[in-house]
Amino acid sequence: MRLLSASLAVSATLLICPRTALPHHSFAPVYDDQKTITVSGVVTQFRFVNPHAMMYMNVTDASGKVTKWIVEFAGRLNLSNVGWTEQSIKAGENVTVTGNPTHTGSERIYFKKLVRADGTVLLPAGSQDLDALEQERRQRAQQRNQSQPATQQQKK
Amino acid sequence: MKKLSRIVLLLTGAMSLCASAQAQSPIKKFQGMWSDPPATILGRFCASQCTDVGIERLNALVDDPANDSRPISALQTDAANYSTEKYLRPRLTDAALKNYPLDPADDPSFLRCEPYGFARQIISRHQLEIRQVANDRLDFHYGEWDIHRTIYLDGRKRPADAPSTMMGFSVGHWEGETLVIEASGIRANIAPWGTLHSDQIHVVERYTRSTDGKTLTLSATIEDPWSLRQPLVIKHIWGWRPDQTIAAYDQCEIPKEFKKRGTNQ
Repeated sequence: MRLLSASLAVSATLLICPRTALPHHSFAPVYDDQKTITVSGVVTQFRFVNPHAMMYMNVTDASGKVTKWIVEFAGRLNLSNVGWTEQSIKAGENVTVTGNPTHTGSERIYFKKLVRADGTVLLPAGSQDLDALEQERRQRAQQRNQSQPATQQQKK
Repeated sequence: MKKLSRIVLLLTGAMSLCASAQAQSPIKKFQGMWSDPPATILGRFCASQCTDVGIERLNALVDDPANDSRPISALQTDAANYSTEKYLRPRLTDAALKNYPLDPADDPSFLRCEPYGFARQIISRHQLEIRQVANDRLDFHYGEWDIHRTIYLDGRKRPADAPSTMMGFSVGHWEGETLVIEASGIRANIAPWGTLHSDQIHVVERYTRSTDGKTLTLSATIEDPWSLRQPLVIKHIWGWRPDQTIAAYDQCEIPKEFKKRGTNQ
């Protein structure tokens, strides 16, 4: 299932509201952003497409039963902005994915973090931006703190 | 022979005039690929849509020492909510407020993979490629939904009997280095402010490029007597990304499972 196009609620909140890591396509009708789950399995396919990239994986439970899971990502452009390509995830890889489950509890998850067998981690686009934004804010705070004593001195 | 020389001279003169006009046209500064804005507090706040009220609030929050320990995302959310309550909501008509905010599960883009209408498309995230495709028109190519839009530059009027369309009818002109586009003839659809809008919607877009060439800002003044009591001004910022291309947008899937707001199904 494709995750919705430009959400209404998201649009309304966006006038609004730029939560950097939130998918801009409507998310709420399908996924529960108050919960996260983690599943591990073997990738069968990664599709680097718009509007949302998709990954398919086989998850084996303790009894040996295999279940097919779908992992939904942001769109191709979003991901390519942070260096992802069609080769970022390969069929046959063992991965552990953490993300938001669906409201119905189906075998589907919205990507928040992926850990490969070698320990390398893939994160959503936007998470790196937050560091830059926090740095800008610290600089502004520093400038503000430096200018305040001078201003107070002038008033005296 | 003399006559021929005169014609050649005239043609040469006309051509150099055209070349000179093109060289001076501000379009050169706009042409190319724009995409997500730079990772700055303002850029990310306006990556989709923002208002001056929201920007002012965000700056006040960021510059208040009491907020130094709060994450920037929380301040952005506060500023956005402030904009919604103080700026947007008072502008909505009773008709628009009846279903405000619309349920995302009712979004036809979600339910049926229908591309956005004009009002959402012009502030859609990611790519906007601007090209002058003829002397009298520009092409705006949006990455989201892979949608093209023509902007006429020859001052033509929208035919009186023309039906409303998804992307409307757009006529642009230059005011100094600002590209001004007037759009009308837009079919009723979902508005980006969380309500429906009518086919009476009229939008004046003003595009300006930053002096360093790194960003493009849209300030859109929107009027719609059905959904808005007074004009609404929303902004969007893009970043200059000549390295990008627009990829296919052809893998939209109709949802098989979703939950409507306030229900269990």
